[in-house]
Amino acid sequence: MEYIIVLGKYKVAKDRLYTKTHEWIKILDNEAIVGITDYAQQKLKNIVGVELPEVGTVIERGARLGVVESIKSVEDVYAPVTIKVTDVNKKLEEEPDLINRDPYGDGWIVRGEVLNRDEVKELLSPEEYAKHVESEEHG
Amino acid sequence: MIDVHESLGASIGVFAGVRTALDFGNPLEEHLETRRNVTVFDLSHMGRIVVRGTKAREFLNRLLAKDLEKSCDLRMFGPTAFLNERAGFVDDVMLYRLNENEYLIVCNAVNVSKVIDWLHKHKELFGFTDVVIEDLTERTAMIAIQGPRAAETMINLGLSTTTSLKPLEFVYDERSFVNLPNATLISRSGWTGEDGFEVIGSITNVKALFVKLVRDLRVRPAGLIARDSLRIEMGFCLYGNEIDEDTNPLEARYWVFDIDKQTEYVGRDALFKVLADGVEKIRLGLRLKKGVRFVPRKGYEIYIGNRRIGVVTSGTYSPILQRSIALAYIDSRHAVPGLEVEIDIRGRRYRAKLVDFPFVQPSSRPK
Repeated sequence: MEYIIVLGKYKVAKDRLYTKTHEWIKILDNEAIVGITDYAQQKLKNIVGVELPEVGTVIERGARLGVVESIKSVEDVYAPVTIKVTDVNKKLEEEPDLINRDPYGDGWIVRGEVLNRDEVKELLSPEEYAKHVESEEHG
Repeated sequence: MIDVHESLGASIGVFAGVRTALDFGNPLEEHLETRRNVTVFDLSHMGRIVVRGTKAREFLNRLLAKDLEKSCDLRMFGPTAFLNERAGFVDDVMLYRLNENEYLIVCNAVNVSKVIDWLHKHKELFGFTDVVIEDLTERTAMIAIQGPRAAETMINLGLSTTTSLKPLEFVYDERSFVNLPNATLISRSGWTGEDGFEVIGSITNVKALFVKLVRDLRVRPAGLIARDSLRIEMGFCLYGNEIDEDTNPLEARYWVFDIDKQTEYVGRDALFKVLADGVEKIRLGLRLKKGVRFVPRKGYEIYIGNRRIGVVTSGTYSPILQRSIALAYIDSRHAVPGLEVEIDIRGRRYRAKLVDFPFVQPSSRPK
């Protein structure tokens, strides 16, 4: 996997799109995989719990898709686009720290059907997201 | 110290208005390292106040809930507390008796100016004109070396004589704290439950010691998040969470007072009224089921059926028990260790059990 390295420590994978709230989405035909970014997991630190949605539910863009709980804080994960959940990463129930270890791979959160392709255009490119992280760090 | 922490890759946060290290990358591992090995914490944010004068002891004895007549030189006295007129906590503190006429108070970072105001106000009120109150917080630094290998670490630092200190005993290398910034004070103490040492001294000296520990002796630095999860495992109170101006020592089960103290002090009458009347709520531990990987946080409510019986004051995930734990106030009629209850986490109920603390036995104790 190829990355943009932001500020020497945050990886931004080049093969997917992003939100300002630090989710990533990888579009594959009509299906997509969603997770949280390396920046998000580094900020949260040790993730000890993940709340997953029910398979089959439709989650509107910007609505809560799940919850990530770390020792430090608890954060909502938002749907980058309107999505019908087809699969959830059950492994996270036993090993929530997979998100810390591999945020762009084994630490994925849900798979789903993209219901409105137009929303994809509004997501951030890796370059745009990298800039966004930079500005958050300096803000 | 903050420049050192930044160079070590710490996440810096603001605690009680002071910039300090929240973690050094992995708070869970910092926690485990403290229980299994040794870590070093920067505690410079804590307040350090010296009270001196021939009437210093008499003065402090009118304000603290423990009887200072029982204190001895070169021994920490406490934890004790300044109580308000309602027997609530102004602050919980550690008192170091440097000598008969000199006392060092280590107080919570959030309360430094409040404690100083409290001291000045009562100095006036009680007419202790000769007592001197000096805030050393900004001119000194403080670190804690904690864990089963703490004593070995002190030997490696060339401070082997400190390993003969008994719990709460301390040494310092100047006759008086008047001579700061050269004095360094080392005590056998800490707040993690493990064996350990705390060092107070000039910023230069303490910083050099911290750097030597981390760089030369490879002692892992630990931040405030690990410090918090360690103290929760032990069931220790944190000001602002378990205790505040409206909480009394009895409901907190925080033994900061001497029940046989005869000297009048602020809060004594109210405390005795509490002792006579009993309490409405009692501080207990809460242990969640092993699979529930959500952290109970301050304000989360505890139920039996539809009846709300308590509220969480602090919670964390215990890497030792590998489950979530919390400290909570439970209505006294339901404060029964062993009782199965439910906790509301973001609108969903999870089963939990009321338990006593400490949640874990520390792996080391000073000999």
